[in-house]
Amino acid sequence: MTDRPTDTPGDPGPGNSPDKLKHWSSDAPFDPYTTETLTAEQERFYMASQWQMMWWKLKRHHVAVVAGVFLLIIYGTILVSEFLAPYNLHARDVDHIYAPPQAVQLFHEGELRAPFVYGFKYELDMENLKRVYVRDETKIHTIRWFCLGDSYKFWGMVTMRFHVFCPGNGGTLFLFGTDRLGRDMLSRIIYGARISLTVGLIGISISFILGLLLGGISGYYGGVPDTLIQRFIEIIRSFPELPLWMALSAALPVTWSPIVIYFGITIILGLIDWTGLARAVRSKLLALREEDFATAAVLMGARPRRVIGRHLIPSFMSHLIASATLSIPSMILGETALSFLGLGLRPPITSWGVLLNESQNINAVALYPWLMLPVVPVILVVLAFNFLGDGLRDAADPYK
Amino acid sequence: MLNRSTAIVRSCRPGALGIATCIGLLSLLASPAAWGDNNASRYIDSPALITLVEAGELPAVDARLPEHPRVIPMDGTRRTAGRHGGQWRMLINRSKDVKLFSVYGYARLVNYSDTLELVPDILEDVIIDEGRIFTLKLRKGHRWSDGHPFTAEDFRYWWEDVANNDDLSPSGPPRVLLVDDNPPQVEFIDDWTVRFTWDQPNPLFLPALAGASPLFIYRPAHYLGQFHELYKNAGKKKKKSWRTRNWASEHNRMDNLYKSDNPDLPTLQPWVNTTRPPATRFVGLRNPYFHRVDPAGRQLPYIDEITMTVADGKLIPAKAGSGEVDLQARGLKFSDYTFLKEGEERHNFDVRLWRTATGAHLALYPNLNVNDPVYQALFRDVRFRRALSLAVNRHEINQVMYFGLALETNNLILPDSPLYNETTAHAWAGFDIDRANALLNEIGLTEFNDDDIRLMPNGEPLELIIETAGEDTEQTDVLQLVSDSWKQIGVKIYTKPSQREVFRNRIFSGETHMSIWSGYDNGVPTADMSPTEFTPTQQMGLHWPKWGQWYESKGSAGEPPQMQVARDLLNLHAQWLAAGSRDERELIWQQIITLHADNVLTIGLVAGVLQPILVHNSLRNIPDKGIYSWDPGAHFGIYMPDTFWFDD
Amino acid sequence: MLTYVIRRVLIMIPTMLAISVLTFIIIQLPPGDYLTTYIAELQAQGEGANLDKIEFLRAEYGLDKPLIEQYGVWLLGMLQGDMGYSFEYNLPVNEVVEDRLLLTFIVSFSTIIFTWIVSFPIGVYSATHQYSISDHGLTFLGFLGLATPNFLLALVLLYVANVTFGTSIGGLMDPEYLGQPWSGGKLLSVLEHLWVPVVVIGTSNTAGMIRRLRANLLDELQKQYVTTGRAKGLPPGRLLMKYPLRMALNPFISDIGNLLPQVISGAAIVSVVLSLPTTGPMLLDALRTQDMYLAGSFLMFMAFLTVVGVFVSDLALAALDPRIRLSGGATR
Repeated sequence: MTDRPTDTPGDPGPGNSPDKLKHWSSDAPFDPYTTETLTAEQERFYMASQWQMMWWKLKRHHVAVVAGVFLLIIYGTILVSEFLAPYNLHARDVDHIYAPPQAVQLFHEGELRAPFVYGFKYELDMENLKRVYVRDETKIHTIRWFCLGDSYKFWGMVTMRFHVFCPGNGGTLFLFGTDRLGRDMLSRIIYGARISLTVGLIGISISFILGLLLGGISGYYGGVPDTLIQRFIEIIRSFPELPLWMALSAALPVTWSPIVIYFGITIILGLIDWTGLARAVRSKLLALREEDFATAAVLMGARPRRVIGRHLIPSFMSHLIASATLSIPSMILGETALSFLGLGLRPPITSWGVLLNESQNINAVALYPWLMLPVVPVILVVLAFNFLGDGLRDAADPYK
Repeated sequence: MLNRSTAIVRSCRPGALGIATCIGLLSLLASPAAWGDNNASRYIDSPALITLVEAGELPAVDARLPEHPRVIPMDGTRRTAGRHGGQWRMLINRSKDVKLFSVYGYARLVNYSDTLELVPDILEDVIIDEGRIFTLKLRKGHRWSDGHPFTAEDFRYWWEDVANNDDLSPSGPPRVLLVDDNPPQVEFIDDWTVRFTWDQPNPLFLPALAGASPLFIYRPAHYLGQFHELYKNAGKKKKKSWRTRNWASEHNRMDNLYKSDNPDLPTLQPWVNTTRPPATRFVGLRNPYFHRVDPAGRQLPYIDEITMTVADGKLIPAKAGSGEVDLQARGLKFSDYTFLKEGEERHNFDVRLWRTATGAHLALYPNLNVNDPVYQALFRDVRFRRALSLAVNRHEINQVMYFGLALETNNLILPDSPLYNETTAHAWAGFDIDRANALLNEIGLTEFNDDDIRLMPNGEPLELIIETAGEDTEQTDVLQLVSDSWKQIGVKIYTKPSQREVFRNRIFSGETHMSIWSGYDNGVPTADMSPTEFTPTQQMGLHWPKWGQWYESKGSAGEPPQMQVARDLLNLHAQWLAAGSRDERELIWQQIITLHADNVLTIGLVAGVLQPILVHNSLRNIPDKGIYSWDPGAHFGIYMPDTFWFDD
Repeated sequence: MLTYVIRRVLIMIPTMLAISVLTFIIIQLPPGDYLTTYIAELQAQGEGANLDKIEFLRAEYGLDKPLIEQYGVWLLGMLQGDMGYSFEYNLPVNEVVEDRLLLTFIVSFSTIIFTWIVSFPIGVYSATHQYSISDHGLTFLGFLGLATPNFLLALVLLYVANVTFGTSIGGLMDPEYLGQPWSGGKLLSVLEHLWVPVVVIGTSNTAGMIRRLRANLLDELQKQYVTTGRAKGLPPGRLLMKYPLRMALNPFISDIGNLLPQVISGAAIVSVVLSLPTTGPMLLDALRTQDMYLAGSFLMFMAFLTVVGVFVSDLALAALDPRIRLSGGATR
């Protein structure tokens, strides 16, 4: 960086004799910008905003991109859950209680066909009180595509019957099996996503704003605000999460409708989560504000808000994003935990937590393992969030 | 079975209070007086105690048993004589369930036999005159589990120093002992005779003594006296390890014959808890002074030891199914049957199904005291309630949830009760959508909205909010089924889950439209059991909380019954209390049942759901079929767990 | 330094007071009190509650007093080291809690040690080998542990352990060792049961730990002093240990504050599922049944430990990183 091209050693120099050092200077006109002229590529790079660079860097992180696309798709589905689910959320089939998953087949007796599933032969084992399902290869239910099936109210408003795929006429299509009332697990999972996925987003927004704001104030100003906020955080953090969850959700008025309760719970999750972030922000700020660039900014008359927002926070964005990534999934998991305790959402509302809670008994583990399938989307989403966050984290410091 | 014993009872002494007089007779027949008096030991001790006896730490078995122990007949078919030994392992949900020692033990002054007749147990005899004078005869030589004699003094201590002590019982003696607000006159005639006398008959007295959670009218005076202000040595104060408000609370803490959580407290139950809470495993050892013997003279219980291990409720089926118990019912549900059954072979046990004995397993309670006037008018219209009941597809519920093994009757009386009759049990319980629709049309609910939901007189759609306090999904599942069939009669329901306390309070205050809960607690009553639950006399009645409160508070709170049928039931309740004979009581019961069935005061959904009972293959004397009932029954209690034994 | 310590200790007093108020609010927030829960529970089992007795208990437990008075009595008791009385267990709170502390310690310490042993090397390796195949692989594993809902994993592991190894389901030892004095057999039995909770609780913690360690270390590794050190020819291992790792540990130090109460409370939900005789399930039950002195005092106890923990971690942080000025920025 510091070596100047005018001093390049390639210059033949005035002569070889050591005793005679003649003054010499280049006749060429001096243009201080020659060496700093950027190629178009460099120009683009140097002039790009931080966010643009983050995007470039993120693009190179393939896993993160895949995870991000996956999340986009998943979040997209909650807009059209009704179309995607082959059955209505409440549709039940008394003849197929605890039916195992039906696998999609392409070949029947070695012959390629349109995707179909085999039907069931069903027996009631009164000795063990068990419903026994055997695959019946004579019954072929070809899956219908873009079809009319169970009716539903789209977004609770318009009555429609359109589905992307439906069971064959007179047949069944339980790709993830059915539960104790003969409800299709796949449809329930698709509908459950609507609740479970949004819990994390709303919760994290609340937590992020609070954490950044209070942590920033605390770490930058120090003194009284710091002490107050730290005490406050200490007080909140000195309780295990569970009692707080329990107390707050038990205090939600019973007269609230389920959907309001749901918002209440997301807010509770957010309200409790922010302290970790705030503490991280503070400890980083404490260290960073001693750095030269912060002092420089202050000396140049920058106001605290600018120093924090413009100089300090961007410099540890990576850390914040790492924390936030770990937080969204923990909210999704938090919802499942609350439902497990019977404090969060409860049936008839359907969320992944509710579904998991229903599978949380030895019967499901030993006899009906497909009831645990809602754990798959939970894991996938949590993983995706983590990978995306990982990529974001690396991208957040694009200058490195 | 029931008929036979009723017949015996009736043949005893007509006119007087039937049962108890023949109880004496029965027990006399069974007393060991018929045996020849050998010089050798008359009774057989458990090997577990023999070493103690030989070491001189315990008197010999003959000296430990009362003069006339209760001999449990073993007919060789239903009950066979067994042998001593073994350990009964069971699981409990929380450490409080250590009370099962006294529930399963089921040693009561009088208790129910497995045919639901009252028989003297701890008492040698009860003599009842005019239904109001009860003379209780104790067994001479009967001892507490610490060896101290059990005498009338223990009754006196309770009556004078506990029940009538202002600090220990601020509101006076228990309500069951008050007839028209008057307490009994209690006499202690000699060491073994106690007499309770009322002015009017008190038919609630003996059943209260026989309850699963009974009224204990005696206390170990020699033990509890040391905590009582009247007796305890004032100079020698116990070290204060926690804030005790006064001596009463300490006395109260020590005095838990029912809860069995004080291992120092002497008891009369077959097993004595030896573990002091908090603990995760409680061990009950045989009571060396227990008063029952088998025909061969073996002192009961056969089983030496019970262990109760605390496990989370959700793990109980899993642990039971992996062979960690010998006999278990608590914590197991019908839906666990399939899983348990899979473990039978591997872990050498058998899963049996007993019928539960609540009036209904699940019932809907329309709140007749609901605040909303429109709903109130509807609920009080019998046609509306009938229509709702007719529109429940009980067969479907039974098939979907209970493999068709439950009973599709309303919330009333089960076939195991002598009062049962087919007609009332099925009244308005068939599935008949057309008739239900016709009834609703008749009421004038003929308008529908776009969703095919009927409109109420005020123009609002007929939407019922059914509140549930169920912790598992069973109730919401059933409601889902009900919801579907009620849609066909144009009634929409919403399910609203809430916590138990909130659940009750909302019903009491009239905010709740309708609730779902288990049916009447006692679905197997005999004419001698109280019909209290079936009449508007308790605030706990979820269909008429305010009327019940009115009765309980003697008119100072709640509302007087405003429906004719409720007033009729209240009258019948009063008549039952005053009735002099069993026949009279039976008649009254029949009227109550008929009124109930015809008026559909509650909507029973499904009854007699089966309870899985896990029994180790080597355990004997546990019936294949039984009723699983809390009160009367004490779950295993009426089948006498002290007679259960381990074969090879 | 001394003034700082004194100042911090003084600050702790109002904090604890505020916590006690909050605790009391938390246990009072849900509707009803212990006795209403108790009645409801009795009724659920078909046992009618004797209302006379209930009124007596209400007076005995002081539940008929105004809230302020109940709070006062409780607080005064706490100051004298008296944690109150558990309605549910019918015992002083101290005894109830004491009974469960030892096993809770065992579970928690094993878990923490497991977490550290696993996450430390992985975190360091991942950071020093960023974007290698093994980094991705380890990351994936860590996330997988984080992503699986604990309570489900717990149940599945229990079942698997029972079916394959014949380990008794739930608890920390075979039932026959419960309440027995310690012996070799008992120890073995505990070890046999311990791995399930340790793995279940550990997996989720581990992932978080790895991520943060890796993130911090990466930040540090790119700093100039590392380059300088490398240029000077410091052996890579020594360089790593001496500077960046130390810096990257800061967040862990601030975690000590949370560690202490965690050790006591254990992971409540998992413990419930696994039916562990630890304090977590006890606390949950107490909160559910509104056994208010048990819940309240125990929460208070944990809160106290946290406050102490934060204090300790602040001191440690200051000692480790001289740049964090002791005055905490009061001059600005």
